[in-house]
Amino acid sequence: MKLDTSGLESTAPLFGSSSSELLDEISAAPSFALPNTINFDGFQKEAIQMVKPAKGTTTLAFIFKEGVMVAADSRASMGGYISSQSVKKIIEINPYMLGTMAGGAADCQFWHRNLGIKCRLHELANKRRISVTGASKLLANILYSYRGMGLSVGTMIAGWDETGPGLYYVDSEGGRLKGTRFSVGSGSPYAYGVLDNGYRYDMSIEEAAELARRSIYHATFRDGASGGVASVYYVGPDGWKKLSGDDVGELHYHYYPVMPSTVEQEMVEVTGQ
Amino acid sequence: MSQVAVEVPPKGGFSFDLCRRNGMLSKKGVPPPSYRKTGTTIVGLIFQDGVILGADTRATEGPIVCDKNCEKIHYMAPNIYCCGAGTAADTEAVTDMVSSQLQLHRYHTGRESRVVTALTLLKSHLFKYQGHVQAALVLGGVDANGPHLHTIYPHGSTDTLPFATMGSGSLAAMSVFESKYCEGLTKEEGIKLVCEAICSGIFNDLGSGSNVDVCVITKGQKEYLRNHQLPNPRTYVSSKGFSFPKKTEILLTRITPLKEMVEVIEGRDTMEE
Amino acid sequence: MSIFEYNGSALIAMVGKNCFAIASDRRLGVQLQTIATDFQRIYKVHDRLFLGLSGLATDAQTLYQRLVFRHKLYQLREERDMKPETFASLVSAILYEKRFGPYFCQPVIAGLGDEDKPFICTMDSIGAKELAKDFVVAGTASESLYGACESMFRPDMEPEDLFETISQALLSSVDRDCLSGWGGHVYVVTPTEVKERILKGRMD
Repeated sequence: MKLDTSGLESTAPLFGSSSSELLDEISAAPSFALPNTINFDGFQKEAIQMVKPAKGTTTLAFIFKEGVMVAADSRASMGGYISSQSVKKIIEINPYMLGTMAGGAADCQFWHRNLGIKCRLHELANKRRISVTGASKLLANILYSYRGMGLSVGTMIAGWDETGPGLYYVDSEGGRLKGTRFSVGSGSPYAYGVLDNGYRYDMSIEEAAELARRSIYHATFRDGASGGVASVYYVGPDGWKKLSGDDVGELHYHYYPVMPSTVEQEMVEVTGQ
Repeated sequence: MSQVAVEVPPKGGFSFDLCRRNGMLSKKGVPPPSYRKTGTTIVGLIFQDGVILGADTRATEGPIVCDKNCEKIHYMAPNIYCCGAGTAADTEAVTDMVSSQLQLHRYHTGRESRVVTALTLLKSHLFKYQGHVQAALVLGGVDANGPHLHTIYPHGSTDTLPFATMGSGSLAAMSVFESKYCEGLTKEEGIKLVCEAICSGIFNDLGSGSNVDVCVITKGQKEYLRNHQLPNPRTYVSSKGFSFPKKTEILLTRITPLKEMVEVIEGRDTMEE
Repeated sequence: MSIFEYNGSALIAMVGKNCFAIASDRRLGVQLQTIATDFQRIYKVHDRLFLGLSGLATDAQTLYQRLVFRHKLYQLREERDMKPETFASLVSAILYEKRFGPYFCQPVIAGLGDEDKPFICTMDSIGAKELAKDFVVAGTASESLYGACESMFRPDMEPEDLFETISQALLSSVDRDCLSGWGGHVYVVTPTEVKERILKGRMD
């Protein structure tokens, strides 16, 4: 049994039909063997539960006057264990488009890379950059074709195209939403709280970056599975630019400075006499 | 009079008042807790003038070695000792319980405890709890009827043997005994054979490890050889010690001087008045 | 998720030269959600005896209250404080009483005994005592703590050295655990004084 991975195909085979076995292997559409089990969906879900890295995350993106602001934390956890504090959760698809990573790290990375290929091919074929709408739809279509097979992806595609700033939320259940404000991951409720409270459309870039940073910081504070570095990206008419990457450990004491140790001498009541 | 609401220290026996709540939790899918185990090699043999007991010193909790040098040979009576394998709390509690009963019995009768008394007390307790008290024991001692060696299984069944092994390393240890044991061993030969059996458990069974404890009981005397062999010394000690490049930052320090211990001498007025 | 991981915790106790230190993190969470960052996990039983309770917070607090009650009865009857060894046996007995329906907590006991001899001990949730000469750990970060302590611990440390070691071991371990951290709380107890310190740690 083989899984149909035609979604992976980016173009027609480079080599013509050849009888050589070696060539066949190279030019054949990539595929992988499926597990030999009766309950395929159940198997996939169990397998995912067994190896589920980068579960907890906080990512957010919003559109404002000047463009799109994208921000994320950098923690990868496996159960209670923190496996990395320096994960790049904002994936640079091309100079004008960013994707965010929540859910399975491998799933997100692979399909974003795949999306990058498709976007580049679209650019070569049509002599113009793909729209954010188009790119997000490509991704959503792929994810939908694998629906129920255990992929775990929650992503936002943010970018700048001919129509201006674009922002879409795409997940592995096949959902695709257009919007101006999104947050994804286990820390998203906390991030939404700060984001919705401080959001105005006519913010300056500095204000927007600060809002994004603060939202991520508050999410990392409350959410055990988010932490590390709060990185903030801005996508404008000239493409994306990384604005900052602040260690949340320091950010906390920057927002809420504490006085260094005051020594309290507690006297015991004088005994006797 | 109202009902006494104050909790009175219990007279003894198990309390089952949290069972219903914990049962509810495990029904909801919360996995039951794991307890500290002595995944163990414990052995005993009869030599020409008494009994030798042996044990490794590893205690585990799941895959973690939580104690590298624990004591598994428990005191029962001056002439009786008992090796314990299984759940650490159970072996500890059951041997403590029986040893106190034996002590009371000695106070009452003024005679030396017999091994069979200990055996009966242990097996009747274990049988009562139908294997839920997870203690596998090797009981050895010398009394008025000569040397005795017994094994007790968690369900309360017992064996009377010239040489015995228990615990996860019992197979490794038994292979040594089966090939080398003979009647009428001298003390030195006996200790050597016990050590060899324990070492085969230490090196071949993952649940057993660290050091060898031996206890030799002969008529009228005993020798508890704690850490008789240390086949696994630490190899990774840094001679330089450890220095910390960055000092821990302290937010608050509170110092409480402890009251000086005033010794009150009876019959003299320490208070001036 | 195990019930021991519901609230998250990290606890260590270490022995120094005529002194001991006991440290904990300060987080109280409900699974991944942080509820409080000033939670007390270490309790004072008397001036020279401290008790840390990791695991399910509700059981920890109930257990603590029962232990205080029993300790006060002891004080009234005996007109003295409990020795650490005695207290450890009491905790063990109270936990083992509930062998078949345990409190979901793992205690760490540290105290100064007769002649200022430090005593540390930990137990599993049904009271299997582990008496250690060097250090004991408990909580969700226990695996990281074992590693940190194994490499950082040295025998016979002076109080200030001990404080630095235990703090560094705690902070570096909780930085690898989602469910504990948010600062640290350290007590260093010497025969003459108790030094309580609150540590600055990562707040994520």
